[in-house]
Amino acid sequence: MSLPPDREEDSTVGNPAALEPLVFRGIGGSSGVAIGKLMLMDTGGPGVVHRHVSRRALQGEVDRYEAAVTASVEELNQAADRAQHHIAKAEVAILEAYVLMLEDDMLHEDVERRILIDRQCAEWAVEGAIADLGAQLRDSPDPYIAARSDDFEFVGAMVQRSFQGRSTRSPAPREPSIIVARDLSPADTAALDKSVVLGFVTEIGTRTSHTAILARALELPVVVGLSNITSLLGDHDTIIVDGVSGEVILSPTIDQVANAQARAERHRKLAANLREHRDRVPQTKCGEALSIRANIELPAETEVACYEGAQGVGLYRTEFLFIDRITPPTEDEQYAVYRSVVEAMGEHPVTLRTFDIGGDKFVSQFRAPADMNPALGLRAVRLALARPELFLAQLRAMVRASAHGTLRIMIPMISGIQELREVRALFDRAIRQVSDAGHAYSETIPLGAMVEVPSAAIMADLLAQEADFLSIGTNDLVQYSLAVDRTSRALAGLASYFDPAILRLIDIVSKAGVEHACPVSVCGAMASHPLGAAVLLGFGIRDLSMEASAIPEIREAIARVTLADLERTTREALEQGTAAGSERVVSDAFREVFSDLLEAYL
Amino acid sequence: MAATEAEFVVTNKLGLHARAAARLVRLASRFPCEVEVGRDDQYSNAKSVMGVLLLCGSRGTTIQVRATGEGSEDAVRQIGELINDRFGEAE
Repeated sequence: MSLPPDREEDSTVGNPAALEPLVFRGIGGSSGVAIGKLMLMDTGGPGVVHRHVSRRALQGEVDRYEAAVTASVEELNQAADRAQHHIAKAEVAILEAYVLMLEDDMLHEDVERRILIDRQCAEWAVEGAIADLGAQLRDSPDPYIAARSDDFEFVGAMVQRSFQGRSTRSPAPREPSIIVARDLSPADTAALDKSVVLGFVTEIGTRTSHTAILARALELPVVVGLSNITSLLGDHDTIIVDGVSGEVILSPTIDQVANAQARAERHRKLAANLREHRDRVPQTKCGEALSIRANIELPAETEVACYEGAQGVGLYRTEFLFIDRITPPTEDEQYAVYRSVVEAMGEHPVTLRTFDIGGDKFVSQFRAPADMNPALGLRAVRLALARPELFLAQLRAMVRASAHGTLRIMIPMISGIQELREVRALFDRAIRQVSDAGHAYSETIPLGAMVEVPSAAIMADLLAQEADFLSIGTNDLVQYSLAVDRTSRALAGLASYFDPAILRLIDIVSKAGVEHACPVSVCGAMASHPLGAAVLLGFGIRDLSMEASAIPEIREAIARVTLADLERTTREALEQGTAAGSERVVSDAFREVFSDLLEAYL
Repeated sequence: MAATEAEFVVTNKLGLHARAAARLVRLASRFPCEVEVGRDDQYSNAKSVMGVLLLCGSRGTTIQVRATGEGSEDAVRQIGELINDRFGEAE
């Protein structure tokens, strides 16, 4: 996501006389709205003085260096203590590694040599030592190790700030402020005093970056991925951060402030209310229980899923293991990842989806011939059956991970019963291979099919007899049924899961599931919207999976409605001839009762 | 002085990254003897996290561990166990 801002021309940027509001749009990383004074946080290294020291003053420089290190270590230890109270064991471990770097013998020897022999002042010596060590790391052929030069630079910047008598946390805000920074390291985020921090804006980052995950745990609004924003802003302007929409407004009008304050207040009330219910079993007002699970893509997201009270993972996308690399991941590598996800969720089940990739996402020698339309090409289960050695390795890794918890295996893009049978044969072979190799595994791993191709929905009665479960992927079902490209903005209006054709397909699948005692779940975007989830419950579906951040809202929405209302509304929606018509039916039925929840989606 | 030396292969996914290096350094620091880790006969101080990181031990790298002095056998053995245990990491 990048600038320029959302306006015709940006000639007023940097012009203090023009206090017109400036609107930027980044990625909403953590929900909530905050209004406050902007504080630019300098997380980079400040300019460093280079001066030679007289012979008499040399020991004094060494002492100053050691005092700065001690202060930095102290600061890190305090940050680690504070972070213990929140989440994130990983953050604490990183802070501990920083402490070791600060106290490191090699760094000390190099800095002392620069002071005592080269007669450099302490700042200069640290700058040089850090630059040299960082450069050696950066030369590493291993990209992970090369990226650790950032850790060295971070440690160096901490020491530099200590020299200036500044806290290594950089100037802590005195009054409630919104922190704007290029990037915030785990140490920076953990060390912030929440009582004076209203929110964050960073140039770097994604929804799954350290800052965003930690901010969600701290329940602070954050917008990430606004490149260059620090160079466009000055201190002490008023700024609005909307972590829901990803909008950042600098120098807002009085109306914009009033509007943001109202949204912030509503969100605070809602969040407080939702938080109370985090551990409650999701059920309707009349007491009908259901399961709410999380869709995740990275193992680290299990932390957020557990935090939001997910009853397991309904969709774990394994694609990330396969993309952006030359060779496919080995069985052992995949096993370790799947195992960590299964273990992280404890007794809750985890549904692993086999790779859903095609010519468009695959790299290197595994690249399939380019299809005209990758969504209709050689991908997902089709690619799996065309490359059985790749698919078997993934299945074996999954079967082995079953020894460590409860897992289900789900096959994407099944279009008919023949594919499911071929997958079942390979699955049986994978189990035999795992057994022959002497690995532990569970004897009862459910094998299910995604229903996202219209033909699979139409043939759901046959699939329901042979699959152990069915999971409807509403996003692709909409794309394939309505012939609407998901990425086309011009057609976005046509891509509605309220379309009666989609509702009829869901009806077919849900009825087939009941008839053949085959559990049916939904793991698409429809499940994460209060009105969409309401329709699904009306169909009799009791297992919804969604982005973890949507779980509190959906849990609350469901608790406000009765099964009778849901079923009646879904029936009426099914009778409509247009998407607008069925959406109106559902909206009329629940708009009032969901009003505060729906605002989050406006 | 008693010197002990052995070789181990890094098997965890991330290799000798910051956290793994920190664990190795903390373990090495418990021993009174001099401990070094090396790769292709380039050694550095195993009690220095920078030294360990600079080895750039990604997965599959063979790491030499060498200790001289009191407790050198224990040091090499325990560091080997830590490496073989993937530094306590899942993958």
